[in-house]
Amino acid sequence: MSQYVLLLHSDPKSWAAMSPDEMQKAVEKFMAWSKKPFTVGGKRLADDAGRVMRGSNGQTRTTDGPYSESKEVVGGFFIIEAANYEEAVERCQDHPTLEYGGSLEIRQIWGS
Amino acid sequence: MGIVTGSPAAGPLLEHLFRRQAGRMLAHFTRLLGPAHLSLAEDAVQESMLRALQTWPNTGVPENAAAWLFRTAHNVAIDALRRNRLLGEKTDSLVAELSRSAIVLPGDPDSEEQLRDDELRMIILCCHPALSRDASVSLSLKTVGGFSVREIARAFLADEAAIAQRLVRAKRQLRESSLTFEMPRGAELQDRLVSVLDVLYFMFNEGYAAHEGEMLIRQDLCLEALRLGRLVASSSISTPRVDALVSLMALQAARLPARVDDSGNLVQLEFQDRTRWDWNLIALGYQYFDRSMVGDDVSEYHLQAAIAATHARAPDPHSVDWPVILSLYDQLLALNSSPVVALNRAVALSKVQGAEQALVVIDRLDRDPKLGDYHLLMAVRGHLLEEVGRKGEAAACFRAALALPCSEPERRFLKRKLAESAY
Repeated sequence: MSQYVLLLHSDPKSWAAMSPDEMQKAVEKFMAWSKKPFTVGGKRLADDAGRVMRGSNGQTRTTDGPYSESKEVVGGFFIIEAANYEEAVERCQDHPTLEYGGSLEIRQIWGS
Repeated sequence: MGIVTGSPAAGPLLEHLFRRQAGRMLAHFTRLLGPAHLSLAEDAVQESMLRALQTWPNTGVPENAAAWLFRTAHNVAIDALRRNRLLGEKTDSLVAELSRSAIVLPGDPDSEEQLRDDELRMIILCCHPALSRDASVSLSLKTVGGFSVREIARAFLADEAAIAQRLVRAKRQLRESSLTFEMPRGAELQDRLVSVLDVLYFMFNEGYAAHEGEMLIRQDLCLEALRLGRLVASSSISTPRVDALVSLMALQAARLPARVDDSGNLVQLEFQDRTRWDWNLIALGYQYFDRSMVGDDVSEYHLQAAIAATHARAPDPHSVDWPVILSLYDQLLALNSSPVVALNRAVALSKVQGAEQALVVIDRLDRDPKLGDYHLLMAVRGHLLEEVGRKGEAAACFRAALALPCSEPERRFLKRKLAESAY
C-alpha cells in the first residue's frame, strides 16, 4: 500500500449561496468520506492564498500565494492509502469535493 | 504520521441544526451590530458553516456544535470589522461588544433566553410596515428561518433572481430607514403584532397551497411558520389572537401527511385517512385553542381554528358537526366578507341544507369579479351539480375549472372528476 495526498481545490464563492441545510448536508458527506477505512488523515488549510517564496541569485522574494489570480484555492488535504494511482482514483470517485464542483489533485507520497 | 487529529466523532448532526443555529446567530449579530449591518452578519454566519465544513471532517464534530458555530462566527465578524474598518469610529466599540458577547452558549438557560428574545425581535423587525408583505415573508425566511434564496424561490415557485432582488431591496430599506432592533411599545407594538401574524399566516398558506412537487420544502415552510408562531406565543408580547393562529396552523399542519396519497394525488378532507393525521399536532392545536379563548377577542384566526378543530374532533367524515361549522362560517363572513370565505361557507351550507341551497349561493358568487379566474369556484359548483344529478352541467364546470390556472395535483384531481361526471 502506498499513501496519496488528495489536495482539495475549490472555489470559496461556490459555497456562498448555499443554505444552512445544504451546508449541513455537505458537512455530513465530507465527514462520512473522512471515515472511509482507507483514509489515513487530513487537515484543513487556512482560507488565504498563503505565501510563495522564491530564491534567485541569493535573493529571496516572497509573494502572496499562487492562487490570487485563480478562483480556486486549496482548502485542505486528505491522505489515503491505495495500491496505485488507479485504485486511488477509483477510491476518490465519490469524493464530495467533486460533487460540489471542486477538483482533486492526487499525488503519491514518495517512498510510501 | 502525526497528522491524524483524532477520529471524527460518530453520530449524525441534529436535523436542521445549521438552519436553526443560522437563524439564531443572525438575530444575535443583528442585535449587536444593528439592522444596517445585516449583510455583514450574514457573511459571518455563512463563513462559520464553511469553516465547519473544512474543519469537522478532520477533528470530528465538537461537543457543543452550536457553540462552535457561534464562536467561529464571532471571530469571523470581528476580523471582518477590523479589516474593513467598516463602521469608522464605531468599530472599536463594536469589536469590544462582540468580544464580550462571545460567551453566548446555546444550551445555557440564560443564553437561550437572550437568543429567543433576539429571534423575536428579528421577526418583529422583518415585519416592519415599511416592507411589503412579500418582502417581510422572504426576509423572515432568509434571516430567522435560515432558508436560502434558492429554497425560498422553490417554495414560492418564483424566480431566484426575483427573490434575491426582493431581499436586497428589503435590506436596503432596513438600512435607509435606520430601523432599530428595539422592541416597539404600546400601540405600535400592537400594530406590529398584527402584521407579524399576517406574515406568518401568509407564510403558512404558501406552504400549504397544493402545488406540485417540492413537498418537503413546502412542508418546511408550514412548520417554520408554526415554529415562529409558537415563539411569538411564548413571549411576553403574545395575545390570545397569537394563540388562535398557532392553533389554526397546528391543526392544519396535522393534516399535511394525509393530503396527498402515495401516487401524489390530492385527497379531499372527507376521504383522508385519519390515522395519517399528526395527532401530536392536533393535541398542540387544541392546547393553543384553549389558550386563545381567554378574553373577548374573536378574530378570524379564532374562527378558522374553531372550524379546523371541529373537523379534527369528528371521529369519521360522517360525524362532522356541519351545523357548527356553518355557524362559524357565518361569523367569519361577518368579519371578512371575502368571496373565498363565502365559497367555503357554501360548502358547509350544502352539508346542512343540501346542495340545491348551496347552488343558489354559488350562482350569486359566480357574478363576483374577484372570483373570475378562481378555479375552485367552478370545482365546488361542479361537485354540487354532480350531487344533485346534473352530470352534464357538472362536467362543464370541471372543464371550465381546468381552463383556469391551477396546480398539477389539482389538475389531475379535476380531470378525475371530469371523467367521473362525463360518463
